[in-house]
Amino acid sequence: MRLLALFIAGPALWAVLFAAVYALHGIGCAGLTGPESLGGLWRLVMAGVWIAGLGAHVALLRALPAGRGGADRWLPLTGGWIGLGASAFTLFPVLIATSC
Amino acid sequence: MTDATQGAASGGPDESPARPGVQEAEELAIPRNPPRPALALHRELHRVWANDRGLWGQLTAVNHTTLGLRFMGTALVFFAIGGLLSMLIRAQLATHDGAFLDTELYNQIFTMHGSIMMFLFAIPMLEGLGIWLLPKMLGTRDMAFPRLTALGYWCYLFGGLIMLTALLFGVAPRDGWFMYTPLSDATHSPGINADVWLLGVTFVEISAMAAAVEITVTILRQRAPGMKLTEMPLFAWYMLGTSVMMLVGFPPLIAASVLLEVERAFDWPFFDVVRGGDPLLWQHLFWLFGHPEVYIIFLPAAGVLSTLIPALCRTPILGYNAIVAAVLALVFLSFGLWVHHMFTVGIPHMALAFFSAASVLVAVPTAVQVFAWIGTMWKGQPELKLPMYHILGFFLTFVMGGLTGVMLAIVPFNWQAHDTAFVTAHLHYVLIGGFVFPMMAAATWWMPLIFGKRRIKGLGEAAFWVILIGFHGTFFIMHLTGLMGMPRRIDVYPDNPEWVWLNLTSSIFGFVLTIGFAMFALDMILQATLGKRSARDPWGAPTLDWAMPVPSTSYNFASLPGPGMWARVAADVVLPLARGEGVLPGAPRGRREVLVTSVGGARPQHVALLPGNTALPLWLAASIGVFVLLMLAGAYALAGIALIPVAVLVWVWGRGLAPAGDLSPVEAAPGLRLPIHHHARPSLSQSGLFALLVADGALLASLVFGLAFLSVVTVGPVPAPAGGGGADTVTLLAVVVAAVALGVGAAGRAARRRSVAWAGVGLALNLLALALLAVVLGGLDDPTRHARDALRAVLAAYVVVHVLVAAAMSAFALDQFRRAEITAEVAGVLPAWRHWQGFTAVASALVAVAVIAQAGA
Repeated sequence: MRLLALFIAGPALWAVLFAAVYALHGIGCAGLTGPESLGGLWRLVMAGVWIAGLGAHVALLRALPAGRGGADRWLPLTGGWIGLGASAFTLFPVLIATSC
Repeated sequence: MTDATQGAASGGPDESPARPGVQEAEELAIPRNPPRPALALHRELHRVWANDRGLWGQLTAVNHTTLGLRFMGTALVFFAIGGLLSMLIRAQLATHDGAFLDTELYNQIFTMHGSIMMFLFAIPMLEGLGIWLLPKMLGTRDMAFPRLTALGYWCYLFGGLIMLTALLFGVAPRDGWFMYTPLSDATHSPGINADVWLLGVTFVEISAMAAAVEITVTILRQRAPGMKLTEMPLFAWYMLGTSVMMLVGFPPLIAASVLLEVERAFDWPFFDVVRGGDPLLWQHLFWLFGHPEVYIIFLPAAGVLSTLIPALCRTPILGYNAIVAAVLALVFLSFGLWVHHMFTVGIPHMALAFFSAASVLVAVPTAVQVFAWIGTMWKGQPELKLPMYHILGFFLTFVMGGLTGVMLAIVPFNWQAHDTAFVTAHLHYVLIGGFVFPMMAAATWWMPLIFGKRRIKGLGEAAFWVILIGFHGTFFIMHLTGLMGMPRRIDVYPDNPEWVWLNLTSSIFGFVLTIGFAMFALDMILQATLGKRSARDPWGAPTLDWAMPVPSTSYNFASLPGPGMWARVAADVVLPLARGEGVLPGAPRGRREVLVTSVGGARPQHVALLPGNTALPLWLAASIGVFVLLMLAGAYALAGIALIPVAVLVWVWGRGLAPAGDLSPVEAAPGLRLPIHHHARPSLSQSGLFALLVADGALLASLVFGLAFLSVVTVGPVPAPAGGGGADTVTLLAVVVAAVALGVGAAGRAARRRSVAWAGVGLALNLLALALLAVVLGGLDDPTRHARDALRAVLAAYVVVHVLVAAAMSAFALDQFRRAEITAEVAGVLPAWRHWQGFTAVASALVAVAVIAQAGA
């Protein structure tokens, strides 16, 4: 069970981060806070959450136990990299795309 | 009990080398049982595990082999019906002003074609394959919950028959397999057509949830001793990913269907813009299910490919770990793509970019698998046997579908091609390429194990070529038709010369495709009836599913493969297993016993006693069917009454789990004595409940998402809450949450101390919570007034249902105390009640916060 938990930790973190940034974006675009009217502050908030999330991914990768080698080590590590890659790639539009 | 890990060294005379790519178990060693006459063992096991005789025996069967085959056979019948409907569609579109079908009937037919292929063919087929194959491949005798398997089958059959009957009477769904609102609301789709879809599909999806729970538990808890997660067959990894996706992916669809049915039946305006609803809420919830659904269908097929390709190429699979990682990536990423089905509805730019990026990214793990399969073929010595034909057909077709998928993931192209025949072509390339071709490979591969017969050479190859030519002739051309602007889902079209000949060509090849499938079916029928007797393991396959007689027996293995056995090629362990040298040989106690192992290392933990043949699943499915039919008829009061027999049968179901007979530990192997499940934790039932709660949590998350979505997008004035947000309601909800939370403590004490008094306290607390909830519900605003009011009421109803179940479980515990079925050693329903009560407490608190916050927003 522990192996499974470590294996899915990276992608699970991506799922949380993706949902959080998407929710922030939706709230901003709904005009509750006005993404553009705040002079880009909302974008900064989203970018900040994204970067913090990337930091969490890196921390997770560093915290993964060394294990006994083989698949027990390889799979959690790969899961961690999958999460980091997915968060970096799917959320990088917070830096470049127009908001709404 | 002797710890299995401290057993003596593995013995056995025929120590052939381990299967390539699999390490021998390093720590777990279980001595072999002494050999016994194989025939006597077979008779002993057959007496216990076989179905009863005659028609009644078929109705009461709970065996995974019977039910898995029945799932697949029924799915094939629905595939044939869906195929015939597609021929009607192509006949209509062969000419621009086709008078073959009128618009109403055409709409029903294309809706039913999609719905049948998705819900009545693809999903049940993969469920059936998993149910039939997993126990054989993992080295056990049945799925974790045989009665649940049977219940799932009957729900599938009855739900499917309801939908088919509606088609025969001209009242089938007609709003597309996606049932978009407002097309499907009561105003635009009067009559019961849409209700047939909403209730029928939800009924059928009971089988999907049942299958997801038991596949998850079977893979995690019933693997052969020593078969670590990291060494189990890739097919099991794929099915584990699939079942988890089903647990999380189907609840949004169920939630959406319930909301739309409630809107249609009771005028609660979830999707009505005038009263604060939004049709896009339906699209979000539907595609939250709908896109993962594509991978739910693809992953089992990919599991088949990862099983067959190395066997047909005589080499271990290339990149086992990389493929497992790719499965993980697909499982997660597929839940981040759903909005690419909605690129044209007015999604904000940045969100388009998020989902476009995710849609492109998902091609990477898919490509990892494709390259691993190609590499395996490159490394090995591929044999061009019939399954390999279909595998090559998969490569050709699926890769093309994947590439057009990447094209559609790019927003500007998507806007151009949206809702055109190009998308129809893409989805058929993906689904037929990614599911039907692998399933045909699977059928030709496992037919000898199913029927014990060899195929008749020639016809299968001819069928393959006709299917391949027919398919590409039909659908490749549709890319062009779509790029020339022809919309989907239309029954007549302008007399554009560039459209007319393309459509006529597609129609002609469509009939060729159908002929090919008919030839394939004929080949299977001939093999099953006229084929010569097959040798055991005719392919020389390495997996455990072939380490048994052909056709497979009702119990799979006379003894279960131990750590020194499952890792060897199938042919080397057939005889030792048949002679009872493995674990838990025979059925000396006259009951259905399976070995339960730990999640990670598959260490033996206890022996589970599975239920025997029973008609209970049939009656329960029938009683649910009565409820569905009464809902369809609009007899809502009677439908409520129809839930009483459902509840009674569920109670009887629980009674069947009571301990009976000899409960003493079982000697599974020399020196390995294991307790039976009544005395062991965690049991299969607890694991199953945990899986069910994952799905339940996804359902709650879907409803909360709906509340949040409407809170963000609602335009126009939101009426102030007259009730629901007041101080009285807040106080009442706080007391409800407190009562349910105290119930957790009561359940825990009842479980730890085996205390009937604490069970009584738990029941009283739950009844108090129910009474207070009735007051809360009465004080909420009229749910027909505004969408937010309706969602508040639905969330409150969610809590009511959960507290009601918690109360029933506490009452059931009291009944078990009364019957002396709970003892110092046997916990009965208490652990399950405690977990359920805990979940209900958390859910109640979340709902209370959401209701109060939203009422005040």
